[in-house]
Amino acid sequence: MSDNSIYFLVWGWITFIACASQFMLKHIYDYEKHYLVWLLTVVGIAFSIYQGRKQEKTIKVRTYVDESMKHLWGGMGISFFVLSMILTRLGWGTAIFPFFILLYGLGTFVSGCIIRFRPLIIGGIIAWVLAVGSTFVSYDFQMLFGAAAILISYIIPAHLLRNRTKIVHP
Amino acid sequence: MEAEEKKLSEKESLDLIATMINKAKDSFHDTGIGVIMWGTIVTICSLVRLSEIHFGFRLPFDIYLLTLAAIIPQVFFTIKEKKERKVKSYDDVYMDYLWLGFGICIFLLILIINNIYADLGPLIGDYKELSKGRIDKTDFQFSEFVSPLFLLLYGFPTFVTGAACKFKPMLWGGICCWVCSVIAIYSPVKVDLLLTAASATTAWLIPGILMEKEYRIYKKEQALVNV
Repeated sequence: MSDNSIYFLVWGWITFIACASQFMLKHIYDYEKHYLVWLLTVVGIAFSIYQGRKQEKTIKVRTYVDESMKHLWGGMGISFFVLSMILTRLGWGTAIFPFFILLYGLGTFVSGCIIRFRPLIIGGIIAWVLAVGSTFVSYDFQMLFGAAAILISYIIPAHLLRNRTKIVHP
Repeated sequence: MEAEEKKLSEKESLDLIATMINKAKDSFHDTGIGVIMWGTIVTICSLVRLSEIHFGFRLPFDIYLLTLAAIIPQVFFTIKEKKERKVKSYDDVYMDYLWLGFGICIFLLILIINNIYADLGPLIGDYKELSKGRIDKTDFQFSEFVSPLFLLLYGFPTFVTGAACKFKPMLWGGICCWVCSVIAIYSPVKVDLLLTAASATTAWLIPGILMEKEYRIYKKEQALVNV
C-alpha cells in the first residue's frame, strides 16, 4: 500500500490547489473563467498513467490488497467521469461540490477499511459530514468545503501512511 | 494458567492452510437473496412510479417507502448469513465495507438532494397550480430528475463487486448502470424511471438469480460429498 499513497498525495494536492485557487479567483478576484484551474487534473491523469505503467513493470507480486485497491479506484475513476458528465448537463455553476465530496468520502472510507488504516476511515466519514454541510452554504464557499474534505480525507491520511511505512520499512 | 504455544510441524501447517482455504472457499458462495430482493424492490418502485405518472393516478402511500421497509429483511439476512459463515474471508470483509459505504452514500445523497433543491419546492408547487389539468407533465417529485446520480451510485459497488469477485454478471450490471446514468442525463423523467428499472434488473436481480442458482448447485454437491 505504501506505493499507492503517492496517488492519494498527488490527487489530493491537485484537487486541494484547484479548489482553493478557484475560490480565490471567483470570490476574491471575481475572475470569470475561474473554472479553468480544473485543467490541473490533466497533470494528475498523466501522472497516474505514467506511475501505473511504471508499477506494472516493476511489481513482482500483486497482493490481494493491491488488486482490491485497483478495482476500487478503477470504479471511482469511472464514477468521477460519469459524475462530470451529469454535472456538465446540470450546470457547473450549480451545487456540484456536495456530490464530489460524497464520492471522495466513499473512496477513502472503503480504502481505509481495506487496509485497516483509521485516518483514512475517519477522513472518509468527515468528508461525508462536509458533503452534507456544504449544502447549507453558497456555491463559492462549497469550494472551501471541497478543499477541507480533500485535506482531511486524502492529504493528511496519505502523509500519515507514508510516515508509517517509513517507520516500518526505513 | 499460561497456555503453552504448540509449534506446528510442516505437514500440520500445510494441513491447517488447506483447511482454512477450503473453509474460506465454502463461505464465498453467496445465497444471492439480498441482491434479488433489492433488484426486485427497486424495479417495482420505478415501474409503479412510472405507471403513476403515465396513467395519472396516485397510490395512497409513497411507493419508495418499500425501500425503507426492505432494510428490515436485509438486516435479518445479514445476521443469518453471518451466523452461517464459517470463516470470514478477505472478500467478505471487503464487500461488507463496500456495501456499507454505498448504503451510507445513498442515504446522504437523498439528504443532499433534499437540501439543495429545498428552495425549488414552492416553485414546483406554483408550477403545478398553474398547469392544472396537465397532470402527466407536472405530477412528479423533483427528486426523480436526479436519477442519473442514483444510477451512478448503483453502478459503483456493483462494478467493484463484480471485478473483485470475478463475477461477470455483476461487472456488466455495474457498467449498465453507468451507461443508463449517462442516457438518463438527456432523457425525460419517464425514460429515467424505465432506465432505473432496467439497471436494477441487470445489476442486481439477474446476477442475484444466477448467484442463487450457483448456490443451490453448490449445496447439492456439498450434500453429496457429506453422504
